[in-house]
Parts: sequence; C-alpha cells; structure tokens
Amino acid sequence: MRQILFYILKNGLRDRLYLGLFIVLTISLAISVFLGSTMMVESNISSIIFGLAISRTVVSLGMILFVCINISRAFDNKEIEFILSKSISREQFVIGYLGGFFVASILIISPLTLLIAVIYKINYLGLFYWFISTLLENLIVICFAVLSSLILKNSFSAILASLGFYAISRLMGMFVMTIDFTDEVSKANHGDLGMALKILSIIFPRLDLYSQSSWPVYGDWNDSILLIILFQSLIYLPLLIFMSFHDFKKKQF
Amino acid sequence: MKNFKVFFYIYSHKIFFWLFILTFILQVIFWKFTEKYRYSSEIIPPAPSDYVVKAMSFGDKEFLFRSLVIRLQNAGDIFAGFVSLNKYNYQRVYDWMTLLDNLNYQSRLVPSLASYYYSQTQNKSDLIYILNYLDEHSSRDIDKNWWWLFQATFIAKKDLNDLDKALYFANKLALNNATEAPLWTKQMPAFISDKKGDSCFAFKVIKGLIDDSESGKRKITVEEMNFMRYFISQILDKLKKQKFNPQNCYN
Repeated sequence: MRQILFYILKNGLRDRLYLGLFIVLTISLAISVFLGSTMMVESNISSIIFGLAISRTVVSLGMILFVCINISRAFDNKEIEFILSKSISREQFVIGYLGGFFVASILIISPLTLLIAVIYKINYLGLFYWFISTLLENLIVICFAVLSSLILKNSFSAILASLGFYAISRLMGMFVMTIDFTDEVSKANHGDLGMALKILSIIFPRLDLYSQSSWPVYGDWNDSILLIILFQSLIYLPLLIFMSFHDFKKKQF
Repeated sequence: MKNFKVFFYIYSHKIFFWLFILTFILQVIFWKFTEKYRYSSEIIPPAPSDYVVKAMSFGDKEFLFRSLVIRLQNAGDIFAGFVSLNKYNYQRVYDWMTLLDNLNYQSRLVPSLASYYYSQTQNKSDLIYILNYLDEHSSRDIDKNWWWLFQATFIAKKDLNDLDKALYFANKLALNNATEAPLWTKQMPAFISDKKGDSCFAFKVIKGLIDDSESGKRKITVEEMNFMRYFISQILDKLKKQKFNPQNCYN
C-alpha cells in the first residue's frame, strides 16, 4: 500500500501536477494581489480573500483533473491489473490510491497556507480552520473523483461528473434555501421541485459551508458550522470510500 | 444516378464554391437585419436578487462581496474613460450598496465608495440615496460606524446644503460611545445647529459637555475646554445681541 502511495506521489511529479499547480497558483496569487491593489480601501484584505478563494478553486479543479486522468490512464495501461496481480486486496489498492491523492493535496495546500500566513497579518486560528476545511473539501472531491473514475472509466465522463458534483455541492446552500423559498413566496405548487431539491440535498454534501475566506480576515467562524463541517466530512468521506470499495470489488478485468 | 455521380465528380468544386458564395451573401443579409440588435449598455445594471447572489457566491460570500465591489467601483468604465456620475442611476447604486451590505457589513469598502466617490455626483438630488445608505449602514452599529455618520453629516451640510438633514446625522453621531471617537463627534450637533441659527440648541449641547467635564463624568482636555468656553462666550454674545436670555433655552 505504501508503494502505491509513493507511486501516486511520483505520478504527480511525472504529470507535472505540482509544477503546474504551483505556476497556476502563483499566477492566481499575482492576479489577486493586483485586483486587491485596485480597491479603494482594504487592499490587503481583498488580496487575501481573492487569493484564498481562487486558490481553493484551482486546487480542487487541479485535483479532479489529476485523479480522473491518472486512474483512467492506469486502466488503459493495464497498471491496475498489474498491481492487483500482486498480493494486495482491492480495498488496499483503493486506500493506497486515495492516500496518495490525499498526501498530494496536503503537499499543495500546506505551503499555500503557510505563504499567506507569512505574508499577511491575519487571524491565524481562522486561517487554520480555513486550511482544515479546505483540506476536507478537497478530500471529499478527491474521493468522488476516484469513485467516478472507477465507475465510469472514461476520463472525460469522470471529469465532467466530478466537476458537476463539485459545482452542485457548492450550490447546495442555495438549493436548501429554495426548498422553503418556493413554498413561502409563491402560491404555485412547487412541491415537486421542493421534493427534488430535498432529494438532492440528501445525496450531496454541503460544501458551501466549507472554507469561508472571511474566517482568516474577520475571524467570524461559527462553532456550529465547524461542527457541521466536521461531521459532514466524517460521514461523507467513508460513504464515498465504501462505495468505491463496493464498486471496485465487483469490477471484472 | 450514375450520370449524377459523374456530374457531381466533375462539378463538385464549383458547386461548393457557389454554395460558399450563397452562404456568405446570406450571412451579410443576416447581419444587415440583426445589426441593430445590441445589448443595452447600462452603467449600473439592476442589483441581483438575494437568490441569485446565493447562487453566484458558490458558498463563499466574502469572495463574491469583493468581486461585486470591484464591479461597483469600476461601474461607468466604458474602456475609453469614465462616464460622468450624474448619468448614473442612483436608485440602483443604492440597491447595490444595500445588497453588498447584506453580504458584508463589517467592511469599509462600500461606505468608502459611498462617501468618497459616489457623493461627488453633480446631481445633488441623488445624494439622498447616498445619505440613506450611510444612515442604514451606520445604524447597524453606531459605535463602529461613527466615521460614516460624520461623512453623512458633512455631505448633508456641504454638498446637499440641507442643515436639517445634517443635524439629524449630527445628533445620531453624538450618540456614539466609541472610545476612539474624538470629542468633536459630541460637539457636532452644536456646530450644525449654530450654523442653522439655533444658538439655544448649540449652547445646550456645549454646556452639557462642560457640565459633564466639571462633574467628572467625562474627561476633557484643557484645550478642548478652552475652545468650548470660547464657543459658549460667542453664543452668549450672539444671544445678548438678540436680547435673548440663555436661561430660556432650558424652558
């Protein structure tokens, strides 16, 4: 399993994931500083907010692409069959892959957070919460990307599915608002829409609550929100992992 | 059928050439009919609803707030200079500011834009929107927002030339209990009412502050006390000239 983990990390090097994300993040941070400096007041705060929000999105999208392309290539090159021919269970294989992706995402997010902590004077506890919740958000996205890549095989479909999952999960706050909103504001029968949204809210995680860029600036986190994030991750991560186990167990080569 | 294939084989390049010419002419005709369909360019578009904002934020309200502030700050940039502020729809500016306040009311960005930028409009009647916004923003927490109440007082007095409005803001400003707020925030109603010609009210405000200092309720520096005594003497002179007894101010 450790070998698989290191193999994934090396894949990151080979695919120039670290270099690519480093370049994109550097450009995003430069744009954030530029945008912040155009503000009438609160230039530094604005730069931090833009930097945090853009880098969070860039890392998530980067990891989705990396995971989906990596697994799809492993299928195409018969790497998976090769690895499974050794004395390793399918669960260990999935855990090894996930571990590799998790460590890769930690390697990307940690220096970014440290850089922001060193450059700007901010609320460090807020930044720590931002770091943890961004990490958890990334773990959920990675788990889903692994699952979709295992199920769909085709990298393009897996990428689209993962991007859709990420976007809908980030919009979930609005959907949840809409469930009550339709009944309150309009007399039209929105029962079906409300029910559809309710079903969506059962299936998808509340990623809209994760990594608020206001935490490191205003320190306005809410303990109950942090608890929701923690429990959501504790429930949703195993859910995706067990689903991956189940799907991969049934797969025939 | 065979003849058609031979015909197509021989003349296909000509057929496609004329088809190309035909579609090009169709494109030109299409352009001629649709040329006038253009996006209406608005300096300030209508503010989006809460629902749209929730969707646009993708869960990160702070990022959206900053992005929309950039939009409001650069509204009127037509890539060839800026439009004069009197051409802006200030009702919409007000809607945008209120919307942005709902996203983040702690930031100084929006009140700064209102006080230092949008208040510069040549159309003075539009200032009422700015004052309404500053009033609503500051009323959330007067102690934290006393500076914006001062800005509102200043805009009402200097730009709008409405002393009643200025006095309304000055009275609100004097209610602040912020430790960092200077003494003149408390004196402001006196200055405005003096300007308005209500020397009695000005006298009462400053006298109240002096009494607070003498009873030990409020610490006031010697320089401030000297200034206030001078201010009182000036008002007393004014009242004497009007043959008005200052004692009557308390009746």
